[in-house]
Amino acid sequence: MLRLKNGRLYDPARGVDGLVQDLYVDAGRVVPAPGPEVRIDAELDLAGKVVMAGAIDLHTHIGGGKMNIARALLPEDHRGDRVPASDLGAGGFMHAGCGHAAPSTWTTGYRYAEMGYTACFEPAMLPANARHAHLEMGDIPMVDKGAYAMLGSDDFFLRLLAAGADPRLIADYVGWTLDASQAMAIKVVNPGGISAFKFNTRALALDEAHPYYGVTPRQVIGALARAVHDLGLAHPLHVHASNLGVPGNADTTLATMAAAEGLPIHLTHIQFHSYGTEGERRFSSEAERIADAINRQGNVSADVGQILFGQTVTASGDTMGQHRNHRHASPDKWVVMDIECDAGCGVVPFRYKDKNFVNALQWAIGLELFLRVTDPWRIFLTTDHPNGAPFTSYPHLIRLLMDRDFRNAKLDEIHPEAAAHSQLRGLTREYSLYEIAVMTRAAPARSLGLAERGHLGPGAAADIVVYRDDADREAMFGKPEYVFKDGELVVRDGRVVKVVNGALHAVKPEYDKGIERPLNDYFDRYMTVKMAHLKIADDEVCACGASKLVPHACTRHSS
Amino acid sequence: MSDTHYCCPFCGLVCDDLSVDLPGCPRAVQLSTAPALGVARSNGSEVDTAAAVAAAAAILRGARRPLVAGLACDVTGHRAALDLAERTGAVVDHMNGAGQFRNWLAFQDGGWMSTTLSEVRNRADVVVLAGTDATAFPRFFERCLAPESQFGELSRRVIVLGDSHSFPPERLAGTALAIPIAKERLGELCAALRARLAGRLVAAGTVAGMAPEQLDALLATLRAARYGVLAWNAAELDFPDADLAVRAMADLVTDLNRVGRWAVLPLGGSDGDTSAAQVCTWRTGYPLRVGFEAGGPHYEPLSHETGRLLAMGGVDALLWISALDPERRPPETDCPVIVLGRPDMTFERPPAVFIPVAVPGLHHAGFLHRMDGVVALPLSARTATGLPAVAQALAAIAKELSRAQA
Ligand code: SF4
Ligand SMILES: [Zn+2]
Repeated sequence: MLRLKNGRLYDPARGVDGLVQDLYVDAGRVVPAPGPEVRIDAELDLAGKVVMAGAIDLHTHIGGGKMNIARALLPEDHRGDRVPASDLGAGGFMHAGCGHAAPSTWTTGYRYAEMGYTACFEPAMLPANARHAHLEMGDIPMVDKGAYAMLGSDDFFLRLLAAGADPRLIADYVGWTLDASQAMAIKVVNPGGISAFKFNTRALALDEAHPYYGVTPRQVIGALARAVHDLGLAHPLHVHASNLGVPGNADTTLATMAAAEGLPIHLTHIQFHSYGTEGERRFSSEAERIADAINRQGNVSADVGQILFGQTVTASGDTMGQHRNHRHASPDKWVVMDIECDAGCGVVPFRYKDKNFVNALQWAIGLELFLRVTDPWRIFLTTDHPNGAPFTSYPHLIRLLMDRDFRNAKLDEIHPEAAAHSQLRGLTREYSLYEIAVMTRAAPARSLGLAERGHLGPGAAADIVVYRDDADREAMFGKPEYVFKDGELVVRDGRVVKVVNGALHAVKPEYDKGIERPLNDYFDRYMTVKMAHLKIADDEVCACGASKLVPHACTRHSS
Repeated sequence: MSDTHYCCPFCGLVCDDLSVDLPGCPRAVQLSTAPALGVARSNGSEVDTAAAVAAAAAILRGARRPLVAGLACDVTGHRAALDLAERTGAVVDHMNGAGQFRNWLAFQDGGWMSTTLSEVRNRADVVVLAGTDATAFPRFFERCLAPESQFGELSRRVIVLGDSHSFPPERLAGTALAIPIAKERLGELCAALRARLAGRLVAAGTVAGMAPEQLDALLATLRAARYGVLAWNAAELDFPDADLAVRAMADLVTDLNRVGRWAVLPLGGSDGDTSAAQVCTWRTGYPLRVGFEAGGPHYEPLSHETGRLLAMGGVDALLWISALDPERRPPETDCPVIVLGRPDMTFERPPAVFIPVAVPGLHHAGFLHRMDGVVALPLSARTATGLPAVAQALAAIAKELSRAQA
């Protein structure tokens, strides 16, 4: 048994806000304080240190076909961040790879762990690409993983919706998809729009009919939100709304919230969806209106998708949006792919510049959203890695949220008109350690239904991070002193000391397997793959590389 | 729904509808017959597998910079090959590297708009086969251009750009247009089509052997597509600077997408080459032709080529992996060669070490990507074998290496 003594705990799931308390770890779990008869094998004195659960990233593009396209596209970016192999002896072997915008799988795992992250969720897994995604994630070490299956532009679903299928049947199909692709949640990207792009439609408004199926994005959202709810998934429908990046899209974003009709809904990278058309340049911040709407509607959560300046690459299922954006590609090369009557993907390298008015205002809009949304349980810290910035910039982002002087100093550096347009300087809020622990630990765990993660209570998996309490929050969060994964010390002073593998989390909803009859027929008639071969068996998950499959049961509600 | 169908690993289509009653194309049938056992050899003599493994490890231990090539196996084999390459400071390249890198060079220069097989099957009303008759993928027409589509009956127009004499007559009969053009001039043709598309005049006289009216007629057909697909097989574009021709084709498709919908479909993926590139990309950032050096992975798409490395003495040992097709033997070289090959592989000049390995998708289960890089399919074990899988043989060599180091 290990005793972590005298640490200052920030554990919002139990309301613990900076309490000095000992933690006990045994067999990979946090356990209650033992009696005097129990032998303590090891002890660390953490006096003055900050202790939190392992951080959880609920939206990061770490593995799957589009990330591999991004990697293959950008050899010049990798060259700037070569990662040599490193033999840790008894701690195992760290593979060589590459870092920066589209890091190799190995490097992704090591660097997440070195920042105190212990679980990461890939938000855009195409069912047709699921086995590949699991193979990639299987080579991401150190962290637990999970993925959200993308639906909403797949022809089978659109056919059901267009035919006015019973919501139960749609829920069965959604349940089957989660099960078949070993997914944790459902994401919809530009609802119906990826499909519409295949029919040569270049924009699809929320209430516009799909050119072939006649259904609207609003109907797609409504049907999927209902199915996700009825299946009893912990995580709400995860929505990448229509019109990403388009000036004036804030109206669409507000209407998208309404499309859930009161059911839980998560809006992802909401920064990219909070734009107005005011001002000479017809581009302005609608962060206040969007934040107010989130504050008002308890069924809505969001992650920010903060942008930070520098080179990155954007990778998205939104082919329609990425094709529109390709003229901004830097370097000038990009990929758009239609995929398997299922979805698509688009990869566009991008360089955000602080002296560019639009980029500077995007930066300010993201920060405004963080500061204006009052409930840290419903707003999550993301850069939509790598779309807004690589995940390695999180410590910098945390400092921007926690340190107003630092934020204002950065505000002085951006395009002056953007700074003048933004109300950011007037926002005095500074995030507390407790709030950071909410948005990076407790809240994502609760949102995903990870009962054993994101907290430090007895029974929790011993994913524990210990930080020096440094006034420079960037330095503090960039280099934890200790990181424990399932009770094992894996990082010391911001460096991996032991290589471990992570588990795969997947939901196991109840659904009527009768859905396989029409599905099988559909695949046999029209697809070049059999339905049976799209399915990933439970025992394949470990063959793909995960340490184990962690199933999460769901209780079906009847609608 | 019980699955009685298995997936075929023997070309980039990875057909997944095979069964005992429907064993696939002749190529699949032929390659599905392989001995369940084989004989390991070291320096010409029969040895047991352990001795062959020890001999292979001795060669790798003595090498300054090995080349791990061939790479015709499944994902698990590719993972093991990269592990071993990393630990021995090797360079990795695939036996289909020449074709792969015609595509990768073009891709890394400008990207492209592409599609996958089920999209082709359901949407493509115009299909251009540029410099290929697709016979390297025996069931391409049957699997990807079947008439039934979920969006209603498709009357497909297939346009052949190339030597139509190589085209099976029964295919040509259903072809809308066959334009004889030398492959070397595909780039020129695409550039001219782009110019016409942009409304520019193309200099008088012929372009790639085509009269201006012919060019405009072709362009009109392309523009009329509801969903057009331009396919090529880079392995067949065997001429200098073929990557520029690929680039020109990709650029033409991008331009056609200004007003309509088009996509490229690079045919390929045979001998596990798509999986090899995918695994190497997620693990290192680069789609093969990577050398593992002290400072990290080093990518050289031109000079890390098997033939060049062997000819220039850039490597001093070759580990050749060829578990799918016994005809794919290692290239001639003077440096010591280790072959992990199908048990029915024969040699004129035997390698220093031969370790017979199981055939993925026949002898053992695994994963293999289709040519489009999106769909990874499960391979199954169809017959029993006593042979090790590539990954197992490589793990044994790695173990022997670390034992010798300790
Ligand atoms: S076409 Fe290719 S994948 Fe299909 S059966 Fe023949 S060899 Fe196998
Ligand atoms: Zn995203």
